[in-house]
Amino acid sequence: MAPYDLVGYFGLTGSYLIYIAIGFAFGFILESSGFGDARRLAAQFYFSDLRVVKVMFTAIVVAMTLIFWSTALGLLDYNQIWVKPTYLWPGIVGGLVMGVGFILGGYCPGTSLVSVATLKIDGMFFLLGHIAGVLVFGETVDSINEFWNSGHLGFFTLPELLHLGTGVVVFLVACLAIAMFLGFEWLRGAIYGKTQ
Amino acid sequence: MNRIFKPQVLGAVILLSASGALALYGQPDLEQKWQFMAPEFEPRLLERQVQIDPAELLSLMNDDYISLIIYDVRSERDWNEFHLVDSERIALEALPTQRERLRALPENGVVVVVSNDEMLATEAWKRLMVLARPNAYILEGGLNHWLNIYGLPADEAGGGRAASLARADGTLRHSFKLALGDRHAAAHPDERHAPQREYTPRVKLLKKIAKAGGCD
Repeated sequence: MAPYDLVGYFGLTGSYLIYIAIGFAFGFILESSGFGDARRLAAQFYFSDLRVVKVMFTAIVVAMTLIFWSTALGLLDYNQIWVKPTYLWPGIVGGLVMGVGFILGGYCPGTSLVSVATLKIDGMFFLLGHIAGVLVFGETVDSINEFWNSGHLGFFTLPELLHLGTGVVVFLVACLAIAMFLGFEWLRGAIYGKTQ
Repeated sequence: MNRIFKPQVLGAVILLSASGALALYGQPDLEQKWQFMAPEFEPRLLERQVQIDPAELLSLMNDDYISLIIYDVRSERDWNEFHLVDSERIALEALPTQRERLRALPENGVVVVVSNDEMLATEAWKRLMVLARPNAYILEGGLNHWLNIYGLPADEAGGGRAASLARADGTLRHSFKLALGDRHAAAHPDERHAPQREYTPRVKLLKKIAKAGGCD
């Protein structure tokens, strides 16, 4: 039953090779989908180019469906997958900071790494800023400790929030994703007067 | 007509079909999850690799290098009569609330489940494995066995006879004059003066702890 202990099966070297292969495939898909281009990433916020949000959300719903089908069939132990505990207020503020940073800088931390891989100067500067921010945060987090741990809800996911079965929630999120794709396309057409 | 066969339309249909089927199929409950996991974990139960001797639990209780959690899954009545020092009473149904805590256990973390015999503790152990796979064990023979070994002083005991372990019916087969909880001497026997027993150590830490420093 997954998740598998790759180090146990293939040894340290073998597992590292697998990690490299997965990382390579992941990076290849991100770069080829346009995740390394700040203009294309920022275009999501103006509804002028929606491929990144489509790739991202498609990946989310496909992974979600596969994870919970695997769990339903006994192929995966979902409890062994790390789900971050919810800290409501810092989560909301962090999301806002991240959103503002994304639209101003054109990258999120992950996509800045993708852009650095293709030697983009703006991505390198964004990454430097990111690292500096991490260092400053690490040195000052003690001063905001109370806020940092506020709104703790523990393991809290959509099924707990909605009081619905996990399978039903997966179906609703899939419907939401498709509705969102259609809505964004309609919005893009309404704003820019053309279809993709 | 061609519009229907566009890749994105096909993808959307597949996604909705798969997620819709999942909504109907549902997710496994704890019992079904245990059935999935049983091939991996049941042998440990059957080969008695996770049932630890009371002396080993006593040793764990006195080991400062171990982060020990003792879950007592018995009824409140039995708990009030007698329980181990630092144990926590929790109903089987409430175990899922411990998931996050168990997943955050350090590498020197050990969980021991106790009940009057082993039946309820074994059920709890299965649920713990399904929830978080902690480094968990069962008190061999339960608290009846524990009390047989570490006993009760005559002024605390109601009957004073050893409980038969062969009759494992899930009841507490020691009687008490007073329901003193963990204030009975047997709730935390002095390891140095308690009856010494030979046992096969079962507890394996996820990481070896170097015992060093301190004043002892």
